[in-house]
Amino acid sequence: MRKIYFIIVAILAIVYVVTQVRKSKFSIKESIYWFIASIIILVLAIFPTILDNLAGFIGIGYPPSLFFVLCILFLLFINFRSSRKIAEQQEKIIELAQRLAILDQRTKDIKRK
Amino acid sequence: MKVINDNKKIIFVIPAYNEEKHIAHVIEDIHKNMPEADIVITNDYSKDRTKDIVEGLGVPCMNVPFNMGYAMAVQTGIKYAYMNGYDYVIQFDADGQHLASEAKKLVEKMKETGANIVIGSRFLEKTDYQHPFFRKLGTKMFQIIIKIFCRKVITDPTSGFQLLDRSVIERYAKMGKYPEFPDANLIIEMLLAGYNIEEVAVKMKLNDEGKSMHGGIIKPIKYMINVTYTIIFILLRGRTSK
Repeated sequence: MRKIYFIIVAILAIVYVVTQVRKSKFSIKESIYWFIASIIILVLAIFPTILDNLAGFIGIGYPPSLFFVLCILFLLFINFRSSRKIAEQQEKIIELAQRLAILDQRTKDIKRK
Repeated sequence: MKVINDNKKIIFVIPAYNEEKHIAHVIEDIHKNMPEADIVITNDYSKDRTKDIVEGLGVPCMNVPFNMGYAMAVQTGIKYAYMNGYDYVIQFDADGQHLASEAKKLVEKMKETGANIVIGSRFLEKTDYQHPFFRKLGTKMFQIIIKIFCRKVITDPTSGFQLLDRSVIERYAKMGKYPEFPDANLIIEMLLAGYNIEEVAVKMKLNDEGKSMHGGIIKPIKYMINVTYTIIFILLRGRTSK
């Protein structure tokens, strides 16, 4: 019976991701990780034995801890990726701002001549 | 050996952030002591009257749309110099610390040695310039690091008072990742890339408030970690081509 809660959570997550993309608030490219993660949660919610078997195979005695580890790894990956993207964008923004200021000045220089 | 001709164009690149108190004096100093040189100010989104004062004096003033920090403001000026075909850039501070009369010494030194970069050093000769403790410690440490890896003594690696030739202007202008703190790390990078760096002793004035941008305790520590970390990557990358 407890299974049903997790299935609902997973479906809500999928619906949320999809609606955000459809409303163009979230790009297709960026949403794909979250979409796949939601699908995996749904699959695990429907067939919890997958997790049990996988944990047994790796040698983890308590299957939910495998789930936690996977979640943490996923979050770390997403976080690192965001951090890298922010740095990239910061660089681009500065480059743009510099260009803007320089071109602005050149326009003023030309006008003065 | 490259010689600075009189018909070559020199420009002072000056980043300014909230410098309404000093900027007019700095510009006047340059007009008086090096009238042949041009000036470009990067107004780093100052909240005071810096922009009005500079524009009132008829000096080119690039207004960036947000505060981007000292290094990026300097690079903006260098890019401007590159695009406008200047042969030499003099990096200069807006707080009155650097003296235009001393800039001639940098030019002379470049004529003499054909160096690509000439740094105005406060420590080459004994001067009355007093450094905050942390800064002194950092300077010493970076001196040693530069000496070990580049076999070159640079007495003042944190000096922002520098003369750059066209090859360096081009390199800095095209650098996608101009460092946040362009000090020892940039010197090491340039030395490893085969650029010739010389120093000349200059006098500097301590600004009235007696604080530089590296004041406090947290900032210098952040600065030291940042520069050291950057140096490690430069050394890992090894020698690059000129």
